Amino acid sequence: MSERITVDARGMACPGPITKLVRAYRKASPGALIEVLATDPGFKPDIEAWAKRTGNEIVELSEEDGVIKAVIRVTGKK
Amino acid sequence: MEKILVLGAGTGGLVAANLLASHGYKVTLIERSDTHLFQPGMLWIAFQGHSPSRYTRPVKDLVRPGVELVKGSVAGIDLGDRLVYLADGRIFTYTTLIIALGAQLDYEAVPGHRELVERYGDFYSGAQAAARMWSHLRELVRGRLVIAAADPLYKCPPAPHKAAFLAAHTLRRMGRLDSVEVHLALPFLHEYPSEVVARIVAPKLEEAGVNVSTLFTVESIDVDKGRIYSLEGEEIDFSLAAVIPVHRGPSVKVEPGEVLDEDGFVKVDRYKLNVEGYDDAYAIGDASNAPTSKTGVTAHLGAEVVVDRIMGLDSRFNGRTNCPIVANGEASFVISSYDYPPVPVKFSRFKRMLEDLFIASYWSSLKYPERWAPIFRAYFNATDPRVISGGW
Ligand SMILES: Cc1cc2nc3c(=O)[nH]c(=O)nc-3n(C[C@H](O)[C@H](O)[C@H](O)COP(=O)(O)OP(=O)(O)OC[C@H]3O[C@@H](n4cnc5c(N)ncnc54)[C@H](O)[C@@H]3O)c2cc1C
Repeated sequence: MSERITVDARGMACPGPITKLVRAYRKASPGALIEVLATDPGFKPDIEAWAKRTGNEIVELSEEDGVIKAVIRVTGKK
Repeated sequence: MEKILVLGAGTGGLVAANLLASHGYKVTLIERSDTHLFQPGMLWIAFQGHSPSRYTRPVKDLVRPGVELVKGSVAGIDLGDRLVYLADGRIFTYTTLIIALGAQLDYEAVPGHRELVERYGDFYSGAQAAARMWSHLRELVRGRLVIAAADPLYKCPPAPHKAAFLAAHTLRRMGRLDSVEVHLALPFLHEYPSEVVARIVAPKLEEAGVNVSTLFTVESIDVDKGRIYSLEGEEIDFSLAAVIPVHRGPSVKVEPGEVLDEDGFVKVDRYKLNVEGYDDAYAIGDASNAPTSKTGVTAHLGAEVVVDRIMGLDSRFNGRTNCPIVANGEASFVISSYDYPPVPVKFSRFKRMLEDLFIASYWSSLKYPERWAPIFRAYFNATDPRVISGGW
């Protein structure tokens, strides 16, 4: 099973959630899954742009009761 | 008897201690350093050659009668037993605690970082490091100056922009902007975390001749090769570079450990600023995890809220920021609060004058915060993001 890291950025506004994600990304190994929970509505377009530009894969992006959940597979690291 | 203990004589700690003294409280203030550094001054030392002495003062000259200053390094805090331990073995008790220990800089997170700072200095690691940066900048005749960050979370979000503006201005005056490139590498999606601010600052950076890379978070530095690698898989060569270090919470052991977040910042109620689960302990400024920018302004406003609360007033911190972006002869401010994302604030010479006034008032506002309070209040009310939501 691959490593799975959870990042809870609920209640944080821009650029909070991406900041937390970058901190987890620094430590993550290639192939790992990073799950981010956020409530900032700006997070959705930001995470999409981030994944696209850094070459990481979004495995899941959903929203329930105002909480955005994004699961990223680390594919942008060698 | 009431015993108020303030930890750290930085911006937040000095404002809190001096304000309490002005209301007649007896306060003990613990600080490990003999001197207080006006941190934004590092930009002017590093990139405009100002003398470090302009931006440092002995801590003892910044405290009022009524504040007992103790020189010592805090090693541990026990919130349950209301005890503070110093590294030399001294123990202090309190009835009310204010934690204002700031953030600590982590040079180990990025390989090569310590070596880079030792060789070239920077604009975060103290007045000496800033003076070292200046001594290299003045020798830089051709090549590339890189300003970058190791993490998107650092104090004063527009500090790297200010660094780039000031450096470009200096190089232009030296007649070297044609042979030296100023390159700003930012760990954000746009030229600023907020797109609204990015749209205002991007054309100014272009006008100043600064080149920008976005989504560049420093992963490692090869000082001998002069190359910086990013987490996103890119690299930049440099002749001279300053990289903002990773920030963490204060290096103090806190019991219970659950009050610290995973980066060591003290978890607080974002409005009342008390430490989560404790109503006799507060954390203000950079040491706290309040979800707003880490700046002197937020530390100062947080100190005012905490002093009000100690006096029994139901003040609340609204997360207000006022981060100045200083460009050549002009300035803008990043103005936001918990409930309002940054509003569009145009660059102007008038705002630059305001920023220069804030800088000039700094020492006095630390020591006599109650004298400045009505002036600052008028400014903050007039520029409340609700009032200027359409732009300023
Ligand atoms: C380059 C730069 C530019 C900036 N520009 C601006 C700006 O334009 N506007 C703005 O508002 N903010 C700016 N800031 C940010 C601002 O300086 C900080 O956010 C502010 O100083 C935070 O105040 P504080 O009281 O939380 O912490 P600090 O001012 O950092 O104070 C912490 C104090 O605690 C002491 N301490 C730490 N650990 C211990 C210990 N274990 N024992 C005893 N004492 C200890 C330290 O010595 C220090 O005196 C800038 C910062 C930098 C680096």
